Amino acid sequence: MGREPFETVVATHHAEIYRYLRRVTAHANEAEDLSQEAFLRGFRAYRALPPDANVRAWMFAIATNLYRNHVRTESRRRAAHATVQRRSRESDGEGPEGEALFNEARAVLERVIDGLPLRQRLAFVLRKIHDLSYGEIARSLNCSEESARAHVFQAFRKIRQGLDGHDLPRPEVSA
Amino acid sequence: MSPTPSTCRQIAPDLLRAAMGEASPPAVERVDEHVRRCASCREELHRSRDVDRLVTSLGRAPVAEDRSHAVRGDLEWRLAELRRRAVTSRVWNSPLGPILIARSERGVVLVEYLSRAGDAGASRLHRWPGVEIVEDGAETEGFYQQILEYLAGERTRLAWPLDLRFARSEFQREVLEATAALPYGAVTSYGRIAREIGRPTAVRAVAQALRWNPLPIVVPCHRVIGGSGSLTGYAGNKLDLKERLLAVEGVRTAHAPRDVRIRREAMYTVADRDSEYCLPTCGSLSSFPLARLTLFGTRERAEAAGLAPCTTCRPDLHPLSA
Repeated sequence: MGREPFETVVATHHAEIYRYLRRVTAHANEAEDLSQEAFLRGFRAYRALPPDANVRAWMFAIATNLYRNHVRTESRRRAAHATVQRRSRESDGEGPEGEALFNEARAVLERVIDGLPLRQRLAFVLRKIHDLSYGEIARSLNCSEESARAHVFQAFRKIRQGLDGHDLPRPEVSA
Repeated sequence: MSPTPSTCRQIAPDLLRAAMGEASPPAVERVDEHVRRCASCREELHRSRDVDRLVTSLGRAPVAEDRSHAVRGDLEWRLAELRRRAVTSRVWNSPLGPILIARSERGVVLVEYLSRAGDAGASRLHRWPGVEIVEDGAETEGFYQQILEYLAGERTRLAWPLDLRFARSEFQREVLEATAALPYGAVTSYGRIAREIGRPTAVRAVAQALRWNPLPIVVPCHRVIGGSGSLTGYAGNKLDLKERLLAVEGVRTAHAPRDVRIRREAMYTVADRDSEYCLPTCGSLSSFPLARLTLFGTRERAEAAGLAPCTTCRPDLHPLSA
């Protein structure tokens, strides 16, 4: 059996999956729990995975599914307690560097991303931050490649609109 | 063929895709063509590209409260724990009926006769605390093949490490280890095993310990019988299996009403820890209790176990008739 041990999967992909979940969840402890759970599930299912499978995309799919289930139960719980709150992102803390404009634009961007419908938000983060292919995103979200494309496009359109009127950092690019 | 000029409204989706770097080459061409003429769309394209760059920068930016290092340490600990408890199992349709074989990372933990192939859920495996069951045949297939060869009489050793962690007690572990040392083709009594482990009076306890043997076939409890020569019991009420396994190893049995026995008078006999095997009539052997004897159905088996023919009764010159 030429398969790499699951420890290698953890070593290779844990940091990225954790950061993915940290980006899409509102609270750090959610990302911690979900990333643990994702890898424990991965460990259990790893043997059944075809040897030529893309392990990274597979881990993203597990994490995405877990997160969507988590959102579903969370919103049910909140509805039950009738304390519907807007998702709020914990502050980045006091950034030591004063990249004011950049940080401000990024804060707005994160707010807009947080406000996107769930599937658009996940498709967008998977595509633009983690560079997954549309096929891989489709598998993560249980949808067609075409809808994955549409989700990302709609997300980008809304983000573009959401950033209207905000100053954007423009890096000096040589022509 | 030059593209037909598009209106600002028509070009908007392509323009966004172009800013994201996801437009097809013809769409890029259409956008280029349009923004050459339209200043406001040109500005829109630049701005959308800035947004795209900002988005991309997000991927490089550290996430808030990145505890991935600590989380990973914790995860690795949990995985190691899980791996220690993990047991892979699969039910095989063997000539003896469905058997479940399970192994841990250390060795075989369970061989279990099931009443029906779909009965894996009723396996003892589910009653063992703290076991993480993984359904997978790949890890036990080689072992199952060895069992098939054994049943066909083509293999006399099952060379797999044993994991006796699920022994019910230290006592049972000792009984299983002593039983595992019995050579292929040999038969002895519960009393003999009791003596081997230094508890000569614990004969019934030995029989009980073997009744719950988690590794039948592998730990050959079928080679252990009652002091009277009766096969006594096997894996609950599967005496026919015991008889069959003994037959594979060249041990013949005789049926009496409500009893199956070995034929002690037709077996080569070894007393205590002697290094020679004898005819059953040698010296006073026939008066020895079974607890002091090991019996073999054939000379080949006795010699394969490292025993030499007795120089007094010469079983090599006067073999027992088949």
